[in-house]
Amino acid sequence: MGSSLSRVAAVAANTYRETVRERVLYNLVFFALLMMVSGLLMRQLSIRQDEKIIKDIGLAAMDVVGTLIAVFIGVGLVSKEIERRSLYPLLAKPLGRGEFIVGKFAGLGFTLLVNVAVMTAGLYLTLALTGRATDPNLLKAVYGIFLGLLLVVALALLFSTLTSAVIAAVGTAIVVVAGRFSDVIHNMKEVAPGAPSWLAPALYYLLPNFRDFDLKSRVVHFDPVPLSELGWITLYAALYLGFALGLALVAFRSRELV
Amino acid sequence: MTTPTAAPAVEIAGLSKSYPTGWMHRGRRTALADLTLSVPRGEVFGYLGPNGSGKTTTLKVLMGLLRADRGSARVLGEPHTARAWRYRAGYLPENPYLYDYLTPVEYLDYAGQLLGIAAVDRRGRAHRLLERVGLADAARVPMRRFSKGMLQRAGLAQALLNDPELVILDEPMTGLDPIGRHMVKELILELREQGRTVFFSTHILADAESLCDRVGLLRGGRLVTVGRLDEILRIDVDHLEVLLSGVDGALLDRLPGLKGRRALGERWSLQVEEASLAGLVKSVQQAGGRVLAVQPVRESLEEYFLRQVGGGTETGRPWEAA
Repeated sequence: MGSSLSRVAAVAANTYRETVRERVLYNLVFFALLMMVSGLLMRQLSIRQDEKIIKDIGLAAMDVVGTLIAVFIGVGLVSKEIERRSLYPLLAKPLGRGEFIVGKFAGLGFTLLVNVAVMTAGLYLTLALTGRATDPNLLKAVYGIFLGLLLVVALALLFSTLTSAVIAAVGTAIVVVAGRFSDVIHNMKEVAPGAPSWLAPALYYLLPNFRDFDLKSRVVHFDPVPLSELGWITLYAALYLGFALGLALVAFRSRELV
Repeated sequence: MTTPTAAPAVEIAGLSKSYPTGWMHRGRRTALADLTLSVPRGEVFGYLGPNGSGKTTTLKVLMGLLRADRGSARVLGEPHTARAWRYRAGYLPENPYLYDYLTPVEYLDYAGQLLGIAAVDRRGRAHRLLERVGLADAARVPMRRFSKGMLQRAGLAQALLNDPELVILDEPMTGLDPIGRHMVKELILELREQGRTVFFSTHILADAESLCDRVGLLRGGRLVTVGRLDEILRIDVDHLEVLLSGVDGALLDRLPGLKGRRALGERWSLQVEEASLAGLVKSVQQAGGRVLAVQPVRESLEEYFLRQVGGGTETGRPWEAA
């Protein structure tokens, strides 16, 4: 009899294989490479700003493309399996619903890890080709991006267990955008004075604070990012992932596969 | 594989299931009502019923895809919600969709991992099964190129991957051509010879009639009948078919208990009520005729099914009413 870990690994490996064979992935990676090349061209136009532009565009491309992959593939992770009924023979086997959820998360998480790693290598290559120093601090920003992407996957997975892929995509996009503007929510009193007083703190603490993971600007401008800060955002990500995946598991366990 | 003391392969007691309907899911539609059923080990059990009668719902509850409102079920001696029996059972859902980006070999490898089959065994088993279900030539073709029948064959292969004691098949003949149906029938008979239990739902009554030790007939979520085919169909032997010679049509008009007649050249084939046989034989002999054969006529499963589910009893036989 196989172990729980081996079943999770099997689901993860199959999810990774599925995402690698999805055309959308290649379209997005192509888009990212295009952005990096455009960064190379733009440096011709901006004297002495070329290194900053390459880093800005490279990290932004990594973030945007990764988020698009996490949302558009993530929302189909469970809902598509239910709609197409491919899940039925799997759950008839000794595969727990929790193992399925964790495996799906790990599979897409690994896809994003590979994607981020390839794009990071591309960014360093671009910098090397232009004769710029390969700044190791860029990896801190990349790490923040990757943690944020894992959170997006968990949210997409949560929505995917609740509803169809289309509605899940809309729901995930709203939460991700809101989480990226958490400072606006925090200052809701100034933006929307009529809103109930409890709403702003409730939303602020409930929604994931993606701004904490955004280290791009600081790294590009050589502002220090202490390792302790990376530790804190790792802890925050772990707690939020546990929360989102826990909710996804509860929702999926209660879901009937009609 | 079958032992006299072994618990039934499937044991269902008082199972009920309803689905929410209407606005805000305030209504309920009954899919299964107080279903009680037992399938002993080593039996081929046919689960019959018209569309919407609750066959698929029963199988989904057993497999844990749906939750029952009431009642209980045990599979291979364990509660149906347990995990352990799933290592010893196989399931083919109705119209299976199997990842179109995978080849059958890859899919079976994935299924084998979930079943805890060692890597060294998985490949060999996959190839043997693909050979058995007639997909050896398509083993490395992505399943997006598969026809419905090919998907059904691949689905069957995954259901048999763990050499299961119990195989639960939801409409296994769907989408198959005559060769495919023959293959599935052979497979089911092979499984029975090996002492395994097969629990399958079907619309194709001729297949059920030729394969099953017992059948259960479901209508509106309720089990109408369950039993051996000869037990079920014997109940409905209400007439005999009698072959006569040396009598004319005028005599037939006077025969007691005659339900129908058909001229066969100089002979007559009659449908006669069982209780009237003795009087009929006497009358024929007195008129100088001969009784050549007497055969009890049973309803076919199809006729029984149609009558039970309200689909009519006309069979198109060219009998002339007496």
